[in-house]
Amino acid sequence: MQTRLVALFAAAVVATVLVAPSFAQQSGGTLIIGRGADAVTLSFYASAAPDSETMAHVVETLFKLTPDGKIEPLLAESHRLSPDGRQLTIRLRRGIRFHDGTPLDAAAVKWNLDYFRNPENRVTFRFLLSEITSVDVVDVNTVRITTGRPFVPLLAHLTHDFVGIHSPAAVERAGGMRPPQGMPYGAAPVGTGPYRFREWVRGDRIVLDRNPDYWGPNKPVIDQIVWRVIPDDGARVLALEGGQIHVAVRVPPRETSRLALNRAVRVDRTSSLRTIYIGFNNQRRPFTDVRVRQAFNYAVDKRAIVQTILGGAARVSDAPIAPGIVGYAPIMSYPRDLARARQLLAEAGFPQGLNVTLHHPTGRYVQDAAVAAAVQAQLREAGINARLVTMEWATYLQVTNRPVDQTDIEMFMLGWGTVTGDADYGLYSLFHSSQWAPGGSGRFFYKNERVDGLLDQARAITDPARRAATYKQAMELIMQDAPWLFLHSESQITGLRREVTGLLVHPTERVLAMNARFSR
Amino acid sequence: MSVYLVKRLLLALPVLLGVSLVVFTMIRLIPGDPALLMAGQAATAEVVQEIRHSLGLDRPLVVQYGIFLGNAVRGNLGRSLFNSAPVTEELAQRFPRTVRLALASMVVALLIGIPAGIVSATRHLSWADSLLMILALAGVSMPVFWLGLNLILIFAVRLQWLPAIGHETWRHLILPAITLGTASAALIARMTRSAMLEVLRQDYVRTARAKGVAEPAVVRRHALRNALIPVVTVVGLQLGTLLSGAVLTETVFAWPGVGRLLVDAVLARDYPVIQGAVLLIATTFVLLNVVVDLLYALLDPRIRYE
Repeated sequence: MQTRLVALFAAAVVATVLVAPSFAQQSGGTLIIGRGADAVTLSFYASAAPDSETMAHVVETLFKLTPDGKIEPLLAESHRLSPDGRQLTIRLRRGIRFHDGTPLDAAAVKWNLDYFRNPENRVTFRFLLSEITSVDVVDVNTVRITTGRPFVPLLAHLTHDFVGIHSPAAVERAGGMRPPQGMPYGAAPVGTGPYRFREWVRGDRIVLDRNPDYWGPNKPVIDQIVWRVIPDDGARVLALEGGQIHVAVRVPPRETSRLALNRAVRVDRTSSLRTIYIGFNNQRRPFTDVRVRQAFNYAVDKRAIVQTILGGAARVSDAPIAPGIVGYAPIMSYPRDLARARQLLAEAGFPQGLNVTLHHPTGRYVQDAAVAAAVQAQLREAGINARLVTMEWATYLQVTNRPVDQTDIEMFMLGWGTVTGDADYGLYSLFHSSQWAPGGSGRFFYKNERVDGLLDQARAITDPARRAATYKQAMELIMQDAPWLFLHSESQITGLRREVTGLLVHPTERVLAMNARFSR
Repeated sequence: MSVYLVKRLLLALPVLLGVSLVVFTMIRLIPGDPALLMAGQAATAEVVQEIRHSLGLDRPLVVQYGIFLGNAVRGNLGRSLFNSAPVTEELAQRFPRTVRLALASMVVALLIGIPAGIVSATRHLSWADSLLMILALAGVSMPVFWLGLNLILIFAVRLQWLPAIGHETWRHLILPAITLGTASAALIARMTRSAMLEVLRQDYVRTARAKGVAEPAVVRRHALRNALIPVVTVVGLQLGTLLSGAVLTETVFAWPGVGRLLVDAVLARDYPVIQGAVLLIATTFVLLNVVVDLLYALLDPRIRYE
């Protein structure tokens, strides 16, 4: 008994000495989050999820999107839309200061919005605000945004992390924002958020400090948030189990059963606003025939893919966008029906089946290559012979972005995250015929004039119920037309140490730690 | 000697020029557009074109290469397309970490490889010899990420003796150095063994034995010194390989060195970073080769460079 105690004690001492640095915890403690990729820049020139996730802690937006898809004021206190739907007047909260001590006022907001939408600044996501014609200071705490025509998604677009409000003084001190001159600012942003930027060791870590003067009602508790870059999925999970990190972002489905056995960690599954689909080239035979497109949809068992390959961490699509998005409604999903698939193919003139090519990326979406292989196997049972072409992301993005008369793509797998939480971003950008690649994201060249009309209308309908009804109509047409092989919306699997509470895995694929704490 | 050194270093210039030209053309020939990656799926064609223009990617390739070369001779390797950081700064930050990892791995490799090779050679065809050579074979064929993950599983997760990831202290160095050093250790062991076997058959070794010199002294003073010459070549080249990034090890252990920089840059099509990293690695290889040649002379007085 005694020796066992001694041994235990010795082990504890050894463990403490060896593991101490990562567990040293005074007051709020340090929260370490492991993720696969580093941020690129933390300014308006940001473009990736890690950028967005870090920025959300430092730089706040005028409005925010709640996890259940509601838009709430953040830096804004209230807002009013003029009867003609073209003028949005925003009253700002009083008494908020940027981390550098300068005040957040109407002039600062105008500076930010003007910078963002100025074509000369070449901000990547400028299209989010391109409908704005002017931003005016009404008084010190009020700004008025005017759009050329009514633009209902504007509020949703103002929740986007890349449209956060930065300190104009800090940007100017750093010599601007635009790369390459503005690079120092992009590596040390100044906002109003619950955390202040501290340091960034590229490829390794980003460190944020708690903002003791935070204005919001929910004061941050954790003293320091550290993002560590751990590119290898397996190593990230092991670092979580070993206690070196508290949170592991994007846990691969195959690791979840092992993590479930570990009492020190728990696994969180959160739905995401990302929909995975296989687009058909709607302007190319045989996919010009709606019967062929429907046949493919009947041929694939999406439920089986979700259950086996994704370990249940996904949801079969029943609309072109995911639940949680304003404007979403469950429409339908094509059940697996091989007889129906064969019959439709025969009617379309392919009684002997057909040969197609399916392009897909690898390593970009959860189990993407395995999903493609499963689709291939299931199509074969309906007499469809699909040849798989696997590509790495950079190549893939380019190959699938060719104009309709130059592409030789027949079918391709892609995902779309509707990160503004509004149907406009998920439907207009993909299904409106003005958005064909390479100018837009409609890489499957869909055209239905009735859908175009409905999507145009919905942009300007201010009444939420009527707007939702319009989107529902559009989505019904889209599901019938089957321009996609509808697959699933992904879930995000996150691993956490048991003692971490209050962490929010947002459906927009960001891990938000501003309200996290350690509980004993 | 110094004339030889200058000549060797001057010869390196055309090599590096060739490397830069090959890398420059190759990365631009493979599909994948950095502007498109930067703009994201949601961007319009104009935005992509604007980005391409602002990065100077819409200029003729010859002009781009000329600019790159002109800047490179002045020690400016350009800026990352993605985060605008100067490439030289990025390399200066990461190269020392990779050097640290490579040297530690080499120490592991030598500590295991040379003794194992000697034992194997002096007990030629014994059970120890067979066992060591089987282990060497296993060491060479073991996938790096598999070994790395298993070491983490055992020493970081189960036993909690060592940290799994990071690069802050010497304790962070142990697991990656073992992972990376294992393959080199196996290779060096095999090299040492065959070189020793060769030397032990030589007349001067038999002479030494005949004079009554004790066996350990024969091995140490007469055989080993001469056997080390081919081993030095392997060690030099291995060190080059280790320095060229040891990509997988750096990925598994979240070690932000040159190897990972290069992989990330390739995935992002960050042309200036790829060019800079490859040039750095090529330069290291060339310099290591010179050092290896100089070491020959040190080990074998018969070799003279004029």
